Amino acid sequence: MLIIVVLGLIIYFPGRKLARAHVNSKTGVEDHPLMCTSCHIPLSKNKLIVKLINSDYYSPFNLAVSKDGGRLYVVAQEGNALLVVDPENHKVLNKIKVGKYPYGVVLDEAGKIAYVSNQWSDDVSVIDLVTEKVSDTLKTGNGPAGLSLSADGKYLYVVNSFSSDISVIDLKNREEHKRFSAGNNPTGAELSPDGKTLYVTSRRALIAPYGDTLKSELTVVDESTERVIARRNIESAYLIENVAFTPTGDLAIMTMIRPKNLIPSIQVEQGWMMTYGITIIEQKEKGRVIQLLLDEPNAYYSDPYDIVITPDGKKAFISHSGVNCISVVDIDSVRTLLKESSPEILNKWSNNLGISSRYVIKRIPTGANPKGLALSPDGKLLYVAEQLEDRIAVINTVSLETINTISLGGPRRITVARQGRRLFNNSGHTFQNQFDCYTCHPDMHEDGLVYNMASKDMGRNLTNTQSLRDIRDTPPYKWNGKNQTVYKQDGIRFSTVLTRSEQFSYEDLDALTAYILTGIHYPPNLMYNPTGELTGSQLRGKEIFERTKDNSGNVIPENNRCITCHTPPYYTNLKLASVGTLAATDDSIKFDTPHLNNIFASPPYLHDGRAATLEEIWTIYGKEDKHGLANDMNKNQLNDLVEYLKSLRAPEYENIPSKIKHTSL
Amino acid sequence: MRNLIQKNYFRYLLSGVVLLCIFSMGFTPIEKSPAGLNSPKDDAKPMPVYGHWKNFTTKDGLPSDHAYCVRIDGNRVLVGTHDGLAVYENGKWTTYTTKDGLVHNGVVSIDVSELTGDVWIGTLGGLSRWSGGKFENFTQFNSGMPNDLVYCVICDGKDVWTATAGGAGQYDTYTKQWEIFTEKNAPMHEPWTYGVSAGDGKIYIAAWGGGIIEYTNKTKKFKDYTDPDGEMEIDLLPDDGPVHDITTATSWANGMLWVSTYFGLSSYDGTHWKGYFDTDSGLASNFINFVRAKGPVVFICSDKGLSSTDGKSWVTYKKNENNSDGMTIIKNFGRNDDSTVVHTTKEIPSSPAIAHNFIIGVDADKEFIWVATEKGVSRGELLK
Repeated sequence: MLIIVVLGLIIYFPGRKLARAHVNSKTGVEDHPLMCTSCHIPLSKNKLIVKLINSDYYSPFNLAVSKDGGRLYVVAQEGNALLVVDPENHKVLNKIKVGKYPYGVVLDEAGKIAYVSNQWSDDVSVIDLVTEKVSDTLKTGNGPAGLSLSADGKYLYVVNSFSSDISVIDLKNREEHKRFSAGNNPTGAELSPDGKTLYVTSRRALIAPYGDTLKSELTVVDESTERVIARRNIESAYLIENVAFTPTGDLAIMTMIRPKNLIPSIQVEQGWMMTYGITIIEQKEKGRVIQLLLDEPNAYYSDPYDIVITPDGKKAFISHSGVNCISVVDIDSVRTLLKESSPEILNKWSNNLGISSRYVIKRIPTGANPKGLALSPDGKLLYVAEQLEDRIAVINTVSLETINTISLGGPRRITVARQGRRLFNNSGHTFQNQFDCYTCHPDMHEDGLVYNMASKDMGRNLTNTQSLRDIRDTPPYKWNGKNQTVYKQDGIRFSTVLTRSEQFSYEDLDALTAYILTGIHYPPNLMYNPTGELTGSQLRGKEIFERTKDNSGNVIPENNRCITCHTPPYYTNLKLASVGTLAATDDSIKFDTPHLNNIFASPPYLHDGRAATLEEIWTIYGKEDKHGLANDMNKNQLNDLVEYLKSLRAPEYENIPSKIKHTSL
Repeated sequence: MRNLIQKNYFRYLLSGVVLLCIFSMGFTPIEKSPAGLNSPKDDAKPMPVYGHWKNFTTKDGLPSDHAYCVRIDGNRVLVGTHDGLAVYENGKWTTYTTKDGLVHNGVVSIDVSELTGDVWIGTLGGLSRWSGGKFENFTQFNSGMPNDLVYCVICDGKDVWTATAGGAGQYDTYTKQWEIFTEKNAPMHEPWTYGVSAGDGKIYIAAWGGGIIEYTNKTKKFKDYTDPDGEMEIDLLPDDGPVHDITTATSWANGMLWVSTYFGLSSYDGTHWKGYFDTDSGLASNFINFVRAKGPVVFICSDKGLSSTDGKSWVTYKKNENNSDGMTIIKNFGRNDDSTVVHTTKEIPSSPAIAHNFIIGVDADKEFIWVATEKGVSRGELLK
């Protein structure tokens, strides 16, 4: 017995010491609990463990209400289904399988057909609501999201969020009639009450040099001429997710974020990282574009997503995914404010945190991560898709109270990764709720913005936001590669530099890390590489990517070949490199070689976003041949190389068993 | 017999060359059609004649008198000038330049997508898409576009084609991919392309020194048409192919491809080529900058006026050298009973005439014709 105890002590103390050193090195702190299971179980790649520790949630995203109010049609984004819900009896009646990662739903005028956009399978499921079965599938552009039917019901407008265009589908012959280009990463679509114009909002700002005023496009399509009649710049705003018209059609109101990315990030405590609100467009000739905040002086209402307006035109409801609440806006008060304010005053209001008291009449708390909203036909009930709660909230629009919740029947337990996802989407850990991870990493990707991340010495380090998709096997993190782990990235340094609030508890940090490292995946690259079979151009580009000799037959130094630093499957060798793009205002650093999977979806490029397109990396910023030898190439060869780069996709689509994917967290 | 042929080889060859020269001098074989009687599909409509010219210059609001191209788009007219895009709408000119987002002020080609209504603008410094009042720019630096010198742009369904100094470019507006065609992957003489047009599921590229490159959308295959006489400036054997390899523009309509060169005009009905010269047709000049076919009529922009033909009649519009008046010259070709070719000529004075005889662009609709000239833009009304 004594021997066992002695042996145990001999193993325990050095073992503990080793474990402590291991945890310290991973977390960058010395007091993270020595609980092996807190990291190694959630991050396990063992299939059985993955299955045991995770659950398949529905994650309701958007919803529609039948004309008689008797049915809710709920898009279960991660259940890949449309759920038919009886709101009166709080029952899920049917689960109709649709395409991959459904996004939006719209019902036809007769209420007999539902159209569901499938963002990850580039199609729309046509559902017969009588038989509750998919009757047809319509091909769309890349990443179909928002939907709208034309006033006469002949056409279905599909907003393609990845290819940034609008498919007009002729519902008679079930084919794409035409396609309009749209803003950057469009999603929201709404037809004006008179049925004459379609508004399409876009989430990402148009690519522009750092320092220029941000502009996000509102695309206006005229139904009669079938043309885009206006592309309005919504200035200083992005992530314009959705738009709604007042029933009289005098105002169009859309949700938006006003980022302060041109101001050093240390200004968080002064309230200058993000502000949230609405953009209003007066629907008359020379109608003004007005921006009003929904925030308060010491409280921010992050990540506004959806907006609906009651049939009487009196109230607007706006879901705030980042702070789990609904803002109720009194529209008459907004009208009064607009009427009495000069353009100069209105311009001031767009940055005023106190003005919301004039028109926000209530904040209604919801479950985790409220997304899509829908009103009952009489406008008396508001339904809220609580994405990370797997349920629908029912709110009385007169009393402005939540009167019910409808469980969609998803798992009751909250897994570690699910908890991490909730944290990722919640601003509660940021000073005054200013932002959350999702704000700068929408869709767990990146927001296309370049931020002025001032360093401790107040140097100006322009930083192009990086995607968080499938980063588990691509450490270190940050452009300078300073963080070897996500624990370090999101630990105390994160709270000191960015959130300016208390750091995550270690339990929360473990959950957040588990989610980031196991729960965020690339969408399929259906635009440039849907089958894995490369085009002629892509194959030629692959040869250039992997070449060892230049066009003259000279051997290219190993460190100046694409393939050396960008090695598959993630197209990074995980090392630091200098590619001649360090700016005068940057700290003197080398850059962590970025991964290139789905790189087509991450403009702008380079660490400070100076390259608007992949071509510009070499045509403008690669003249010294420090970022790979490229200047011997002709234009055809450069095009081939770019086409190959655009074809790169996640390893899971290449059948490389790099990790185990769990579809829903 | 074999020996006889070998003995007389050079004699036969010489005879052949002499015969070719005779034919080229105008002794057209009886069975061949005269230049005025060509093979476009016969159309009963009379040849349109335009008049009541109204000329626009900088005094009227144009940004420059150097007008390069013109395109009618419904109720508005788009004109490319040396100093920007000019739009004529409701009786007023509005100019758009780089200050408004246009990629370059030298606008040399314009087309409007029938599908979307988007306006595609080829300039001396890139390509712009003008849609919903906003310009989106494509250059050789920020995209896969072959070259910034965009001489011609056309829309063909969802595709946009450009003829540039670095090859022809095909942009798929759905997949956002560019494909470049040069002498490296197409039967071109060199990458320099001047014009492009679409019709009947095919693309016709006017390749400098390379004749016409035909691209079939369905098969993605190329075929080239070159002058069998090579780069000779006379057409040795009439109607044996395009009149010259240095082509400036192509246009397709009504089953007929029209090709302009600096040495005459060609037409191709899918089987037969036919050449037209100022000596044997109503062409104002063999030096042709641009050609646009609209239904059965083709408009030909030359350095000595604007010509048009429907295959039977020729109408040419000219300006006098020393004043603003000019002439409309109508030539009708026919045959006598003995099959000899005859033509009648009618000259109608016009006051004013078109703005200038050096013409680079033209477009017409049911009522008006718009002409881009070296010294302003002209609008003519269809005479009833």
